[in-house]
Amino acid sequence: MTSYAIQTSALVKTYGIGSKATRAVDGLNLNVPEGSIYGLLGRNSAGKTTTIRMAMGLAHPTSGDIKVFGLNPARDPERVTVLRQVGYVPEDKMLAALSPRKLLELNRNFYPETWSDDLARKVIKRLELPLDTAFIKLSLGNKTKSALACAIAQRSRLLILDEPTTGLDPIALDELLRLLVEDCTAPIGDKPRTIFLSSHQLAEIEQIADHIGIMDRGRILLEGPLDDIRSSFRRLTVTGAALPTTHPGILSIRQQAHATQYILQSAPEAFAQDLIANGATIVESNPMSLNEIFLELCRTSESTAADREEEFA
Amino acid sequence: MLSLRISASSGVPVYLQLEQQIKQAIASGLLQSGDPLPSTRRTAADLRINPNTVARAFQNLEREGVIRTVPGGGTFVASLASLAPGLLKTEKLRRLRPLAEQLAVEASQLQLPSTDVHKLLDAALNDLIKSRRTKSSGDDQ
Repeated sequence: MTSYAIQTSALVKTYGIGSKATRAVDGLNLNVPEGSIYGLLGRNSAGKTTTIRMAMGLAHPTSGDIKVFGLNPARDPERVTVLRQVGYVPEDKMLAALSPRKLLELNRNFYPETWSDDLARKVIKRLELPLDTAFIKLSLGNKTKSALACAIAQRSRLLILDEPTTGLDPIALDELLRLLVEDCTAPIGDKPRTIFLSSHQLAEIEQIADHIGIMDRGRILLEGPLDDIRSSFRRLTVTGAALPTTHPGILSIRQQAHATQYILQSAPEAFAQDLIANGATIVESNPMSLNEIFLELCRTSESTAADREEEFA
Repeated sequence: MLSLRISASSGVPVYLQLEQQIKQAIASGLLQSGDPLPSTRRTAADLRINPNTVARAFQNLEREGVIRTVPGGGTFVASLASLAPGLLKTEKLRRLRPLAEQLAVEASQLQLPSTDVHKLLDAALNDLIKSRRTKSSGDDQ
């Protein structure tokens, strides 16, 4: 049986009241398996940070459920057990206003059982973090590195990174990816370790993640193992007469000058065989990158949302 | 020295890219039977990819008898001599058929005559044999 590091069901978080209320998270069902590197993807204000803040007990759900290692992070004393096992890099990188050295010392005292000085030194060296620069003089990238160093050296069972690439240059980003794979995935004792990260940097996520969740308007559009997602999406360019317009696998159809382009989201081979059996010609059949899948899903979800609004108007 | 490379934009799943490159390194003599492979995590960290992806590639290669894992002792290139003759010819054909089909599809799409496809394949096989020979004579010196 798979156990989950984070699990939510019908999770809702509303900010504001009355006509100004916004549903930041709107019926979210998320399953983050233990031992995975899970990438949570979404556009701005898709609800990623709100979800992460609820996992850390920093925001309370309006309704629905969120569990971290089966525990409720919004309620003491469960919250304490959760926080002891979670390393966290917040989106705004608003840390205690300390130099990196002081911040590391502070965190070291919070997590005496798991903290590793060796690992802290390694992260500092790899990311080239200046230790004694005053907080107000730190660049955004160095604030990010400071937060990352603390979270990684904590050697937690679950690492939650909210936009961990903010302000990092390409070299630092590459070093971060290496550190995450090298030092944050090996099990500690018999406990598998999980990395849960939100990002817009789709190419980097595509490299290191094995699970993906794509979020839009507070909901999950797509979730699952990345390999499965990759093999179920395909772009087909087809010519022929009387091409089908409805099929459960079709995500979108675009008419071009001489051909029809299908974006398929499940069983593309079966669909292609059907087309050929019905006399159509497949001009091109291409796998899609995570970036293309993301764009297609968000566009489709936008147009259905717009349709829904028109119905109400 | 084995150097693996990943192309994220190729559309080929990363674990397949790894399997192909390791098989290629063995076929060309760059890796020889008994040579150690880097650990899963080392490989994953060097390539900045998910450790499970590397593990999947290694598992597939082990199932095919290309590499063998010594519990607690690492992963090694299996001896080709013990693997290849051990397989029935029908099994070898079964494994190669999908690749042949793919080649046939691409060739017919490009309208390349069958004789040219055969030449291309012969040239690729010859290249492998040649590079294996240079590799082993290089080792003698």
